Amino acid sequence: MNGLIQTLNNLLNDFGLYREFVIKASFYFIAALTCLFAFMVVRSRDIFHCAVFLAATLFGVACVYLFLNAEFLAAVQVLIYVGAIVTLFIFAIMLTTKIHDKAIKQTNRQALIGGALALVLLSSLIAIINRNPWKAGGPGADREFLGLGELGKSLMSTYALPFEVISLILLAALVGAIVIGRTYKE
Amino acid sequence: MVKYAHLIPLFPFLAFAINILFGRKLKKASAIISIAASSASFFLAALTFLGNLKGGGSYVVAKWLALKTVAIDFGVIVDPLSCMMLLVVTIVGTLIQIYSIGYMGEDKRFSRFFAYLSLFMSSMLGLLLADNFVILYIFWEGVGLCSYLLISFWFERPAAAKAGMKAFITTRIGDTGLLIGILLLFFTTKTLYFKDLAGLAGDNTVFTIAALLIFCGAIGKSAQFPLHVWLPDAMEGPTPVSALIHAATMVAAGVYLVARAYGIFVINQIPLMAVAYIGAITALMAASIALVNNDIKRILAYSTISQLGLMMVGLGAGAYSAGAFHLMTHAFFKALLFLCAGSVIHSIHVEDEPSLHTQDIRKMGGLFNKMKITGATFIIAGLAIAGVPPFAGFWSKDEILSELLKSGHYGLFVVALLTSLMTAFYMFRLIFLVLFGKTRSKLRVHESPNVMTIPLSILAAFSIFIGFIGSPFMNHAFQNFIYFGDVHTMEIIEPNYFAMGISTAVGLFGIGLAYLFYILNNKILPQAIRARFSLLYNVLSNKYYVDEIYEFLFIKPCLRLAALSFKFDLGAIDGTVNWAARVAMAISRVKSWIDIHVVDFFVNLVAVLTGFASLAVRRIHTGSVQNYLLIAFFGLVLIIVIKLIGG
Amino acid sequence: MIPQSHFLILGAILFAIGIYGALTRRTAIGILMSIELILNAANVNLITFNRFLGSPDGPAPSGADGLGQIFALFVIAIAAASAVVGLVLVIAIYRNSKTILMDKINLMKW
Repeated sequence: MNGLIQTLNNLLNDFGLYREFVIKASFYFIAALTCLFAFMVVRSRDIFHCAVFLAATLFGVACVYLFLNAEFLAAVQVLIYVGAIVTLFIFAIMLTTKIHDKAIKQTNRQALIGGALALVLLSSLIAIINRNPWKAGGPGADREFLGLGELGKSLMSTYALPFEVISLILLAALVGAIVIGRTYKE
Repeated sequence: MVKYAHLIPLFPFLAFAINILFGRKLKKASAIISIAASSASFFLAALTFLGNLKGGGSYVVAKWLALKTVAIDFGVIVDPLSCMMLLVVTIVGTLIQIYSIGYMGEDKRFSRFFAYLSLFMSSMLGLLLADNFVILYIFWEGVGLCSYLLISFWFERPAAAKAGMKAFITTRIGDTGLLIGILLLFFTTKTLYFKDLAGLAGDNTVFTIAALLIFCGAIGKSAQFPLHVWLPDAMEGPTPVSALIHAATMVAAGVYLVARAYGIFVINQIPLMAVAYIGAITALMAASIALVNNDIKRILAYSTISQLGLMMVGLGAGAYSAGAFHLMTHAFFKALLFLCAGSVIHSIHVEDEPSLHTQDIRKMGGLFNKMKITGATFIIAGLAIAGVPPFAGFWSKDEILSELLKSGHYGLFVVALLTSLMTAFYMFRLIFLVLFGKTRSKLRVHESPNVMTIPLSILAAFSIFIGFIGSPFMNHAFQNFIYFGDVHTMEIIEPNYFAMGISTAVGLFGIGLAYLFYILNNKILPQAIRARFSLLYNVLSNKYYVDEIYEFLFIKPCLRLAALSFKFDLGAIDGTVNWAARVAMAISRVKSWIDIHVVDFFVNLVAVLTGFASLAVRRIHTGSVQNYLLIAFFGLVLIIVIKLIGG
Repeated sequence: MIPQSHFLILGAILFAIGIYGALTRRTAIGILMSIELILNAANVNLITFNRFLGSPDGPAPSGADGLGQIFALFVIAIAAASAVVGLVLVIAIYRNSKTILMDKINLMKW
């Protein structure tokens, strides 16, 4: 990531004023795209399309992470979410639908009220966000990037306990999945 | 010797218990047990008598009640009067029980008869031995009970059952008087022992009234006027019962009571005169009714009533020994008379109705040739009762007559004489009509078995010889043995030849008159007299209408009161109870209505409301998770919005 | 350059869309995908706060550093685990009732 930013910096050095504008423009573009893809996830008729749009949304979120100086997280997001979880989704879809099923209406009767509720929620959240004077600053803010090594160190020292717990959770999920997914040979 | 006297009533009581409990199995053997018991009592009585002669006296057997002021114990009185009575009762009782083996031989309740007889013997003997009024009353009631049981022994016949009831109720009236008298004495003198009372009695109203009340008991038991009505009806019982109870012993209990309580009677002339006059009225009345009666046993019953009246006359006039003497001799020959009558009844069968035993003397006649022993003893008894010397009745009746003359009761003397005349007449009327003359209906007759004729013979012997005890030939041993008053040594009593002569004349005259009427002119004379004195005849043959008067005065109102009470009980009391029940039922109906329509309504209302509410509310459970999520989320949004707007 | 609130608004939008999807999709898999969206919205918020507020105790290695990112990492792990289990359940239900439509799976209906 280091080199990339520097390269971009070098490239856009000349465009000084454009730099901010381009950064801003690209962010809004990617954010809008992400929202669009997310909307498509929940509105597609075909589940396959949903899965693909989900993958696209997750990509978009990874890009947003980049804007927030969280390169490692972006990489992890792509790796795990898109690489493993969406794949898992596609497997499940394959196992549970017949391919030649015609596309059926994908929303149930709650669509209207659910939509209204979601809108209300959204507007309330936006109102709250705008109203609130967000604190900024604090130690460690505005850092250009967080090195992987340092993340690893804090993971092993300060956050060791959650680390162990998460491994246990993953183990439990694994075992549970195997048990539930078993087929009984008669 | 004397100290075992209390066992005398116990032997027959034991016989009663055995016969009542095991009678069904014993059958004929029950008679042997009863007779053995009463023979044992006889022996003991004889021993007691001898002991008393040697000087033995009363004693206490066991302690009983110890009240605050007085103690009443089971005591036994052994004195000449009770010894004499004990002997009489045991001898006559045993002989009659032997007789009953033959008389009641075919009866299906044979053993129970002997059980009752034993119970009676026990009660009577206990009565004679009682030394205070309480014990006496207990046994008094006991003999009354036995009398009732035995009169209505053949209770399948309604006449017998009614007679039993009549006897019990009539004597009850007398017994109530006796009880009140006893209580009066107790409250006055705080003691009920005969010997104490004799000393304490003083000449005042309380004792007079007490004596009269005690005499009421005697009136009831001894069938004196006006409570005599039960004795003739009691003839419904078997003849041995009539002989034992209603001739020789129980009816004598009344006389015995007066003699026992004589100390209270002699305080002044009032009780004595009451006794004498009632006795006189009774004697005359009963003898006159017997003149025209046609039933063997009823003639003898009225004769008993009359003779008891005579005894009461004697006692009332102060002739204590004479009355007791007549009591003894009468027991023997009256028992003999009844047993003979029973023998006659038992043996004759009316030809046209083989199962019927008749007691109507108009249907009998000329039986002497077929029943010699019965006939002979019958005549002996008749002579005894008529007062012909040297038979027993002469000596005792003569004693009473001479005492009456000596004490100056000339009116009572005349009454006694008249009674003797009528007695002789009706007794020989009976004998001539039954035993002699032509047989008036077709009868099959045979002599009674030995078991019945032997007691007859023994009693006949007594009837002949027992009178000599009180005669001049034995220096009036009886009168010197049994007397009232201070101890005195052997007295020489001058025989009253006038009394002797006139009583013999009267007796022979009566016999002659009967002979005239019933042997010589046996068809014409009786009917002529009847026609002439038809009104008198009707009154006499209807027993002076006493029963009818009682029926009208007492019985019908009592029954009407009973019916009224019953109707009241049925209507008012039962009605009230039923009404209460109906009210309760009505209330219960109301309550049930309330329960169904009000209480259940509310309960059901709650249930229904819950049902409605749940019907509405359960729609939330759509089963769809997203619905649940929606609802939850809705709540969240609501909170946020409110917070947002509210600030 | 880009104010903090815009990132947060992005997160809010993603969250709302995810909620809408969770309430509306007819298949279980659709609901699971919506839930992934919600989790990602939360992650965006976390990273935003990490960028703008830093960590509580100063730079590493002495203090907790990169708290938001670590948290987001864990969220991703949790999301993965839940997705796994959820999908296995969907497969099991599909085996039982041969349908994946949520309307038809209403055994708990009154």
